[in-house]
Amino acid sequence: MSDLLDFARGPALQVSVMIFIFGVLYRLISLFLTPKNFIASPARENVKGAFGAGVGEIMRRMVPDKEYLRKEMFAFLNGWAFHIGLAITVFGLAGHIMFFKKILGFGWWNLPSNFVMLAGVITLFSLVASLAHRLTDPVLHKLSTLDDYLSGGLTVLPVATGLLATMHLGLRYETLIAIHILSVCIFLIYFPFGKLMHAFLVFVTRAKTGVEMARKGVKL
Amino acid sequence: MENNNPTPKPKDANKAVEKFLVSSASQLAPYLEACIHCGQCAHACHFYEVTQDPKYTPAYKLFPMIKAYRRSKNPLNWLGMIPTLEEDEIAEWQDLVFNGCTMCGRCTNVCPMGIDVAQIVGATRQALTAAGYYPEDLMAAAENVVQHGSPLKVSTSVLEDRLEWIADESETDIPLDKKGAEVMFTISSIELMKYPDSVGAMAKMLNAAGVNWTISTKGYESTNFGYLAGRPDIAKLGTSRLVNAAEELGVKELIIPECGHAYSVLRWNGANIMGRPLGFKVYHITEYLAKLKREGKLKFKSIETAFTYHDPCQISRRGGAADDARYLLEGFAPNFVEMKVTGNQNWCCGGGGGVQAMNKYRDMRINVFKIKAKQVEETGTNTMISACANCRLTMDESIAELKWGGKLDSLVEILADNLIED
Amino acid sequence: MAKLFKNMFATSESTALTLGEELAQKGVSRRQILKFSSYVAALMALPASYSTAIAESLSKAKRQSVIWLSFQECTGCTESITRSFSPSLEDLIFDFISLDYSEALMNVSGEAAEAARKQAMEENKGKYVVVVEGSIPLDKDGIYSASGGHTNLDVLKEVAKDAMAIISMGTCASFGGIPAAFPNPTGAVGVHEIIKDKPIINVPGCPPIPEVMTGTIAFLLSLGKIPELDHLGRPKAFYGDNIHDRCYRRPFYERGEFANSFDDEGARKGYCLFNLGCKGPVTYNACATIKWNGGVSFPIQSGHGCLGCSEPGFWDKGSFYSPLSTPTSGLGKAALGAAAVGTAGAVVASLVQRKRREDILKAAAVPKPAETKMGADDE
Repeated sequence: MSDLLDFARGPALQVSVMIFIFGVLYRLISLFLTPKNFIASPARENVKGAFGAGVGEIMRRMVPDKEYLRKEMFAFLNGWAFHIGLAITVFGLAGHIMFFKKILGFGWWNLPSNFVMLAGVITLFSLVASLAHRLTDPVLHKLSTLDDYLSGGLTVLPVATGLLATMHLGLRYETLIAIHILSVCIFLIYFPFGKLMHAFLVFVTRAKTGVEMARKGVKL
Repeated sequence: MENNNPTPKPKDANKAVEKFLVSSASQLAPYLEACIHCGQCAHACHFYEVTQDPKYTPAYKLFPMIKAYRRSKNPLNWLGMIPTLEEDEIAEWQDLVFNGCTMCGRCTNVCPMGIDVAQIVGATRQALTAAGYYPEDLMAAAENVVQHGSPLKVSTSVLEDRLEWIADESETDIPLDKKGAEVMFTISSIELMKYPDSVGAMAKMLNAAGVNWTISTKGYESTNFGYLAGRPDIAKLGTSRLVNAAEELGVKELIIPECGHAYSVLRWNGANIMGRPLGFKVYHITEYLAKLKREGKLKFKSIETAFTYHDPCQISRRGGAADDARYLLEGFAPNFVEMKVTGNQNWCCGGGGGVQAMNKYRDMRINVFKIKAKQVEETGTNTMISACANCRLTMDESIAELKWGGKLDSLVEILADNLIED
Repeated sequence: MAKLFKNMFATSESTALTLGEELAQKGVSRRQILKFSSYVAALMALPASYSTAIAESLSKAKRQSVIWLSFQECTGCTESITRSFSPSLEDLIFDFISLDYSEALMNVSGEAAEAARKQAMEENKGKYVVVVEGSIPLDKDGIYSASGGHTNLDVLKEVAKDAMAIISMGTCASFGGIPAAFPNPTGAVGVHEIIKDKPIINVPGCPPIPEVMTGTIAFLLSLGKIPELDHLGRPKAFYGDNIHDRCYRRPFYERGEFANSFDDEGARKGYCLFNLGCKGPVTYNACATIKWNGGVSFPIQSGHGCLGCSEPGFWDKGSFYSPLSTPTSGLGKAALGAAAVGTAGAVVASLVQRKRREDILKAAAVPKPAETKMGADDE
């Protein structure tokens, strides 16, 4: 079984990180290379600078306006729950930080493993709830494509296998951690080609809308 | 009359795909990649709210363009391996992007990714029109622009007759083609034909403020049905008539009357459509009146009537001029009450984006008005005023149909009625 | 130790006596046999009743003939086994086994040594136990390692033929070990790759824990059967537990308290060594329980992460100091390559896209707006 771990830590991670970097750069750069629209209409006078507007909008959309919040409370709370949960589990666990340190060359302080495990459990439930919501809500059902279910499922997998690995549950540890790493590999490979890319694109589109609204002088 | 660019026939899905590819430039491309199908926009859409039918979810309206975009970007497509948009897909969305969307932009406010749905719907309309899928009545209105200079067939002679009559009625001057004018005023044919009082009201206030203004017979129609119908050629025709007329007169400022999309097309896209900066500034009438008020050139008696204000989407949410309407009401209407959901978050009247011109959705518009009626009732007033003739036309239709007890008025009319003239 | 070497080889006459008789002659009481048996039983986690059974069978057994073969090795395993406390090697070789051949420990050398081996094989045909230390080179017919003019490969095959069982002592004999590390110049392999028809017990470790070695031998000779083995052929009694699961530093792992260098605060406080590349979580051995040097300490206790030496190929699994959760291969070049290809791909794709766009625009150029004399009346 140790061979599986060697495969996961070796070629599997190497190839999937390569595909991830390739895909993300391919998508972002080809997006930034789309032909520019001709914009000559003047901006409203005395509007704030584009940079501030962009950053402001990225922050502002973290919480929807209260008018919409009432109707989207579940999506809002659940969305935050699994996003924060994912951030804690991905960036807070010592083992993960070691991974980033190896790739990036620097690390940071880790959180207690048991706390990360708790966050992982909450994340798992939250992700499953979001998938259940997607299956049952008529609007979401209408909108959903294979990409949505794949993206959701491929996010659930590393969380679930990671929890099993930290809990040493079911199989031998080396098998569990190998499966966990392999599930991350699949996640990384799929990431650039589906809606998981929103992790990067969210900054682009929010800022873009923020700049456009600032240009018009729309204050949300 | 010659029409260089006849409306496309017969239907050809491929034309839509090509059009999508051409229009997915930097202004739209990031949005087309970003939708996460979270569905939060559904509740922001009045059409979804009144029908509870998931197909009206704004994100769903983006599907054909996103599909075409993805396919055009997919390397496999260059090898001809990815099938293109199907005719029946395009037909299905014709109803959604023309009738089922007023391009009010409310969904953008709730979108966690900040996707500008309205802009994409605008581009989708162009693509579907290019492919021969469009509502006949909206297209007929757009073609009237080519033939008669206006969607409501307000030709130059009709214009002259109406303006003369309005000037008489409201006892004010309406200068036509006045040489040396500094400001060009435009009209919306909806006002001219259905709400002539508001044209008179605006003329009265401009005269009272001592503005040196005129209307041009060469470019007077501020509405742009070419834009609404997805006909960039007609949209450019409409815009260039206004621009050429204004530049010929040598004016420094151009005023858009109480019309929503007219403002957003010329103010925010005019130069882009023309492909060059314009030689004058564009104002909405509320912006211009606010400017005059700020300069102390206009004074109003204050009124006791309690009322609320309906923000036209294209002026406030998509125009950025929400504050000017409030500034005009400051000191003038002490009993003015805001709706609970107002300003840039306001609910659409249900007839924007040319939906008003399409008969098929009359019942839908009337249902949408129920949201508005409830909003007004919650303020405790029974009057609302607006600054868009299209909003008025849409809501007046519903008020009559529902025999609603409240009233709908025009901002400029109320202001003009209480103008302090020296 | 002097005594050890003097009495290294049991005389052949003594093989006629049972262990019990022989020990009684030497003044070893039944009580001492029982004591030894209970060690074995305890080590192997057998039920207490087993110790009596072991004692019974030990008393009746003949001294077990053992042939210790040294191949491609460093003698570390022998060094280790001489430091076994209970049962000690002395316990074993003086009282329970007849170590008939061991290049490292025997007095004689050359022809005499080989003769001793042949004699033991002859006399105990089908009953002797072979202990192998070191891996066996296969390349070039195994000429990389030979003694007495015979390659290790030939000697192993010859000795294994009439053996009762084989114990592969250490990671080299079990899995090829360090001689088999990349690029494995001699084609070194473990015993089980060569001998397929004899029971083989793998006792890996670099070196194995002394008590694990002696305990395994004691089990074999006292119960006369192969202990229960795991999927890698290791006695479950010693290799059934994960070091991480038995590690006294485990609570620090749970709390997320780690040493990040060998001389930081965490290291001084004895925090978990995961970040320093400890392989405890994927290593199965008894280090954390039996420990070393008579239970004094084990690597993690001394402040160094586990190397995973009882696992196959431990030498080739990246740096000993790279944490388990990190990639074993360097990603730097791969990442840069992917970035370059991604960028180039994006540029090419964008150019293709632009070209298509322009073609469409050219083919269906939006004509200039009709400069109509608008304003015609409706007829």
